[in-house]
Amino acid sequence: MSAPLTSGAAQAPATGVLARAPRAVPTRGGFPAALRAEATKLTAQLRAKLLLAACLVVPPVVVAGLAGQRPPSDTIYGRWVHESGYADSLLLLGFAAQWVLPLVASLVAGDTFAGEEAHGTWKTLLTRSVSRSHVFWAKCVLSAVVSLLALLLMAVSATVAGMLLVGTQPLVGLSGQTVGSTAALELVAASWALAAAPLLAMTAIALLLSARVRNPAVGVVGPVVIGLLMTLLGAVGGTHLLRRALPTTAFESWHGLFAAPAFTGPVWQGLLTCAVWTVVCLLLARVHLVRRDITGG
Amino acid sequence: MTDAPAAPPAVRARGLTKRFGQRAAVDDLDLDVAEGTVYGLLGPNGAGKTTFMRMLFGLVGADAGTLEVFGRTWAHDGVATLAPVAGFIESPRFYPYLTGRANLRLLATLDRVDRRGDDADARIGGVLDTVDLLDRADEKVSGYSYGMRQRLGVAAALLREPRLLVLDEPANGLDPAGIRDMRALVTRLARSGLTVLLSSHDMDEVEQICDHVTIMSKGRVAFTGSLHRLRALAPAPTHLITTSDDLAALRVLSKAASRLDDVSVTTTHGALALRGPQAAIDRCVITLADAGVAVRTLVPGTSPLEAVFFSLTEPEDVVPTHSHQPEPGAAMSTRTSTAPKAAGAPAAAATSRSPR
Ligand SMILES: Nc1ncnc2c1ncn2[C@@H]1O[C@H](COP(=O)(O)OP(=O)(O)O)[C@@H](O)[C@H]1O
Ligand SMILES: [Mg+2]
Repeated sequence: MSAPLTSGAAQAPATGVLARAPRAVPTRGGFPAALRAEATKLTAQLRAKLLLAACLVVPPVVVAGLAGQRPPSDTIYGRWVHESGYADSLLLLGFAAQWVLPLVASLVAGDTFAGEEAHGTWKTLLTRSVSRSHVFWAKCVLSAVVSLLALLLMAVSATVAGMLLVGTQPLVGLSGQTVGSTAALELVAASWALAAAPLLAMTAIALLLSARVRNPAVGVVGPVVIGLLMTLLGAVGGTHLLRRALPTTAFESWHGLFAAPAFTGPVWQGLLTCAVWTVVCLLLARVHLVRRDITGG
Repeated sequence: MTDAPAAPPAVRARGLTKRFGQRAAVDDLDLDVAEGTVYGLLGPNGAGKTTFMRMLFGLVGADAGTLEVFGRTWAHDGVATLAPVAGFIESPRFYPYLTGRANLRLLATLDRVDRRGDDADARIGGVLDTVDLLDRADEKVSGYSYGMRQRLGVAAALLREPRLLVLDEPANGLDPAGIRDMRALVTRLARSGLTVLLSSHDMDEVEQICDHVTIMSKGRVAFTGSLHRLRALAPAPTHLITTSDDLAALRVLSKAASRLDDVSVTTTHGALALRGPQAAIDRCVITLADAGVAVRTLVPGTSPLEAVFFSLTEPEDVVPTHSHQPEPGAAMSTRTSTAPKAAGAPAAAATSRSPR
């Protein structure tokens, strides 16, 4: 190209620039624009893709591994993993709740704010035509979507693997009753779905931590540690009230569905607790991002 | 038409203050950038230039005072304040895992370039061409050199078709050729009518590019006015001489001080600095030769504009103090007379003289 600056103000004569009406401000579409930009960044990086691939690939490997071993009888539904494929799925859910889902939340959310910090790109991002609030909500929505997608993939992968590798035999309920195959599948699906609430709460905690700590390592490791501490606290030192206030407790709320008669108190309690954690963490993170000075980069 | 409101200036700051802890990085700053000017914000490191520009971009909130950009304020208009503005703070940063072009596309998305009926890809190609990055545009930014990132920063700013281009020390960290190209680019953009606000710690750069300048020191305005007015404040040029015996030379010159009253003499690192008109310097050299002191070298010292800059920003420097009143329209901070640093300076050095 021979003529640089072929378009725009920069090449117009001075009078042209001065006479020009002030640029129309794009007031609408800030949030979708921010969302698209965040999605571009996420899909350009390997991290999220690897995570989703792992959620799909690991459960069948674990189910296949369990088939050749003595059943892990100290874990919920561990002793039934050879009897019904649904038990395999539930065993994986229990394991995922403790270790994997907090990690998923961290990997997805922990980096969204701290990554801008690490690359020094806050100033690049925030000196365009989107508000901090739009950027914040875009990052939240995208983190939530990826977390939920990871959960969905894991649920489908674990359940299908169990059904194919072990079978669709009826399941023994927690009260010793027999749960028919169709009912068991429904309950398994519901159990995985219930994990969405604490997963979102953990994601919100990770977002808050990531927004405040400004260090990608802490942003990623922090929520995992917090998740473990919460689980530990709920298991050992926990008074009833404390257990109810912890979002990680909601990862176990599905147990009641497999009792006879089924009880759903913990389900509602868990949903409420997780909603409170999610809202409070997100609002704190938002206030922090909107108010803070961007001095780095 | 006379009662039509005048167009607001590109930038207007009043009493603008920002503190980090106890330290005021920007302290009660008043500043007006008229549209169409190339405005230099000059100051040594730590003067508060970057902090001011961060406030302009809304990255940092002010503790006191007001800042208007084309009549808009962050408090009232939010991110719309930035609509006519583009630029970068310190070194521009991009997502290293994206290509240069993908970075610009991302920023075009945020700016909603498409919505304005423009073809984003064509525009991106255009600005990449302007900064001479077209052939490297499809490489990841992680592989870019510092200078390429700097140019990509300019491209990212031009993508917004700004009316005001804000550049924070754009030549910083560039090699001589890079500095030359960057200055040429800024000059070219400025000639096209764009308002440019450029910060620098280099008087030379500002002299080459800008027509208005504000000199900042410790967060405050030390001078503001046209470059023309700043030149009027400049002291006589300095010459550095080395002699066969500097101590003797000092003695000779101070003894002859009555005849050389338009020259100031100070010692600097292993040389004598003579400040005064050319004829007076000539007389010094002759006087020294007559007294049997040989002049071995005679070289021009700090440029006059640089000397004003130092005198405004480093009150304790060896530059003679000014009792000079600024020209109408030019504001200058009040300064107290300070004794020259150099211990062996003769009386002539302390003589307060008009810098002209
Ligand atoms: N984030 C920060 N925290 C504390 N002090 C800061 C921060 N940013 C800048 N400063 C201080 O503010 C003053 C002005 O800095 P800056 O605006 O970067 O100056 P300049 O750009 O003119 O070199 C300096 O004394 C600097 O140390
Ligand atoms: Mg700076």
